[in-house]
Amino acid sequence: MMIDIENVTDSYVSLKSNVTEANLNNSEKFKAELIAFIDEHNKKVVLDLSSISYMDSSFLGALVSSLKHAIASKNDILLVGLKPDIHNLFSLIRLDKVFKIYKNLTEATAI
Amino acid sequence: MTQAKENKILLVDDNLLFLNIMVQALKKTGWECVTAMSAASAIEKLSTDIPDIILSDYEMPGMNGIEFRQKLMELEMFRDIPFVFLTSLSDKETIEQGLDLQAIDFIIKDTPINVIISKLNNILLTVNKQRELSTLEVQNAAKALNIKSIPQKKPEITGYDINFWHRPYNDVPGGDFIDFIQVDKRYTYVVLGDIMGKKWMAWYFTFGYLSYVRSAVRFATLSNEFSPANILQKVNSIICLDDVLQDILSSLSLVLIDTESGLITYAGAGDLPLLHYNANTQQLQQVTTDGLLLGMFAGVSYTEQQLVLNPTDQLFIFTDGMIDVADNGKIKTDYENFKYKLSELLTAGISFEEIKQQLFNLSPDIVVDDQSIINIVRTL
Repeated sequence: MMIDIENVTDSYVSLKSNVTEANLNNSEKFKAELIAFIDEHNKKVVLDLSSISYMDSSFLGALVSSLKHAIASKNDILLVGLKPDIHNLFSLIRLDKVFKIYKNLTEATAI
Repeated sequence: MTQAKENKILLVDDNLLFLNIMVQALKKTGWECVTAMSAASAIEKLSTDIPDIILSDYEMPGMNGIEFRQKLMELEMFRDIPFVFLTSLSDKETIEQGLDLQAIDFIIKDTPINVIISKLNNILLTVNKQRELSTLEVQNAAKALNIKSIPQKKPEITGYDINFWHRPYNDVPGGDFIDFIQVDKRYTYVVLGDIMGKKWMAWYFTFGYLSYVRSAVRFATLSNEFSPANILQKVNSIICLDDVLQDILSSLSLVLIDTESGLITYAGAGDLPLLHYNANTQQLQQVTTDGLLLGMFAGVSYTEQQLVLNPTDQLFIFTDGMIDVADNGKIKTDYENFKYKLSELLTAGISFEEIKQQLFNLSPDIVVDDQSIINIVRTL
């Protein structure tokens, strides 16, 4: 598994990636695992991506595609723990307008 | 820079001593080894680390070698990894069963280690050769059909010098696409897109995207509508309606050069900010818009920016592969580093050809994405 389940509450499920280099080799499998979690729990997902030090466009595409799936089922994906380089990339290509990004789980679930 | 890529093997065997002997011998001949003492552990490791070849024992507790192979055949991303059985059994039935599961070969366990390694080297050499041939065939087919997602030559535009550079990932055509659409002597659109994916699949979709962009530009300009932002909005609306392109996202930079007014109008969709070099102040400034990736959501709007390029000013449009850098043998994305290095070279008055030599020289072994850059220089 590329995603470990950390916690399940009434309002959200928190997940943690264990991928270091997020690229074409693992993007499809990551997406399949993430969508399976969304479908199984049918609630907001808080996804910790702190393990990822490099993310290519295939993987970004897989994340966006998973978000579209979550939104279609009236759920959401909140991202936490992004490394500065990755957070910067999200800002540069405006994905920070699409994903809700927080520093950590506490911040993401505070509202 | 890193050295040439090592061959990586996943060794699966419940015998730790045998694994250690194999790892020692393989490492001596330049192989990178990943080991697993059970099929279940091997599947776990495969989820984060894809090897070039798998050598698996047949007799193992839990899932045996045949069941392991069956499991991998069910999973699309693992089924094409060359798979070799290692077994002490030499009975015909087991071998037939394995070959039915597309195992490339069987190696009997008491074969001398140096012979096993030679066999593995030969298998990988054959597989890679076959892959190269398949790639070559598709490349030849694409050439024969005259379908290109990158232009063959730069356009001639009065008052501007346009340069571009493109390197596909692993030398296989991928998701980056470039086009120069000359409406008339006055207006030219510069297009740079990046389908979110790599290699052949992304390359295939570049044609769908390029066709829509070309059509949208032509239809708009026929009605005297030149706004890049409006064109992007139309392209996005069509793409979101197209079932074939569902979930296929792309960034796009669309730049309109108006030779009469000297204005550049730019609209972007999930692309990296452009860089504008002001020759007078010797400053390199980011040019940003707020558009989202194409194909993400229907009905989103796009905005555009107008800028003036003074004589010898330059504009750079590029995809994310350009900002990857090697850091202690690992790849990372660093826009600021690219901007800083480019700025240094431009301030030193270096031409695009020289910049290509100095800045776009990451070793192909460490490059992990398509790389494309377009340079627009105002000459008059």
